[in-house]
Amino acid sequence: MAADAVLRAQPQRGRVLPAWAWIGWRWVWRSPAAAVVPLLQPFFFLYFLHWIAPAEYFPLQVAGAMLFSTQNIGSWCLSDSAVFRIELRLQDIFVASPHDKIRYLFGVAFSNLIPAAPALIALGIILALVTSVSLVGWLVLTAAILTIWVLYSAIGIAVSSRLRSQREVWPVGNLIFTLLGILSPLYYPISILPPIWREFAHLLPATYAALLVQGVLGLGPAGSENLALDAGLLALSTAIGLVAAWWLYQWRER
Amino acid sequence: MAFGLRWAGSGAFLATEIRVQLHEWLAILTGTLTPGALLVFVAVLAPDLLAVTVIGALVYSMFLIGQRVLNEAAYIRIDHKLNELYHASPLSPEGYFVGIAAGMLVAYLPPSLVLLVILEILYPLSLLAWLVLAGCLLAVWAVSATIGYVVSTLFKDMKTIWPYSALLTNLFGILPPVFYPLRVLPDAWRSVVLVLPTSAATALVNAAAGLETISADETILAALALGLEAIALFAFGIYWARRTARER
Repeated sequence: MAADAVLRAQPQRGRVLPAWAWIGWRWVWRSPAAAVVPLLQPFFFLYFLHWIAPAEYFPLQVAGAMLFSTQNIGSWCLSDSAVFRIELRLQDIFVASPHDKIRYLFGVAFSNLIPAAPALIALGIILALVTSVSLVGWLVLTAAILTIWVLYSAIGIAVSSRLRSQREVWPVGNLIFTLLGILSPLYYPISILPPIWREFAHLLPATYAALLVQGVLGLGPAGSENLALDAGLLALSTAIGLVAAWWLYQWRER
Repeated sequence: MAFGLRWAGSGAFLATEIRVQLHEWLAILTGTLTPGALLVFVAVLAPDLLAVTVIGALVYSMFLIGQRVLNEAAYIRIDHKLNELYHASPLSPEGYFVGIAAGMLVAYLPPSLVLLVILEILYPLSLLAWLVLAGCLLAVWAVSATIGYVVSTLFKDMKTIWPYSALLTNLFGILPPVFYPLRVLPDAWRSVVLVLPTSAATALVNAAAGLETISADETILAALALGLEAIALFAFGIYWARRTARER
């Protein structure tokens, strides 16, 4: 009780997001190469696909790379929050502070959005060069990116709260986020997938984000009913994913 | 003594490494993800290139062992501080390097065996092609294990290492024609990529299997480059292991 009183006497408000943004920026500033390298992954995939895929899929693949990069932020969140908790023991300090778990989740996600932003901007510029994108297209793309960012960051942090060793971070992060990235039709139209895979892809939120973006950009089926359905299913699957992440998330050590 | 090789403790260390790695089934499983993803891309978008991509996946998997050596050597040194204990023991530095490299090779072989079965189903190889494949995979392992070990000694924290290991595998595994055929590249680039260990190995195996046509000069260039890189780098790895084992 005395500890609670001491805690209440401390400042209860602060600039949480700018503080976390500063952490993200410091990571880029202190380790530019280490910050840039993970961003290259979607460009490596695009380069590979450029050699093997029909040229008309390229705009779709650039839009898909933007979603894939956003999804990968979840893997970085997993890595960061695991390092904070397991190696630096920083999470104990956050738990003991007035900084609650929602702010922690958003903070880690926000700090990882900062180093991802240059890749997203570069991909956006490439997308504008290879296909025409309307204002509505940019708005929908931004909304899809933000939705995927919140969901996959939450999944990353929730999963990381269950890890026991630094050694598990890399394989677990890779397993979850690469698998999810490949199973969703981010780099190819869903119509060319085998039926079983297509059905399975419909369970993943990133699939609806991809279908919505492809539809709005004119790179896939674009009926208004289709788009509304994809948007609704994206919202629903994201809500389910967030509830699952919330259930999995362990804020305090047991 | 200065130039001779000492292998004290190598067998025990190799057995330890194999046992430790075989407990990391999750890491072994995730090693298949990137080649698996690229195989999926090819199966969906260009199924006629599947045999070339499976051979590429085998070469890539072998190169990935270097990334595992990097992670393991860094983990032992930075996180567990175990390497000081190893170096204070009768285990020789060269035994330490070769033990990690060979331990990874054995532990990460099962996914490659699965790929070999898929290749045999998709595109059965001749005896010559099998021999070329085996030789090239061993050469790629020697190159990648050395790069992984040497790079691991240059870092002071684990978080910085992960991106660099990803960069190395992408630079050597995804950019050059490993998962896609050499023939799609402009002629001017062919001799450049044939000097890189991964694309040289893939081109040699594809040529031996009849999946790719390369000239006699290109074959000699690729074989010489790969052979020299494997021998020179592995020797450098042993030298570097001895050098970095010294107290500073």
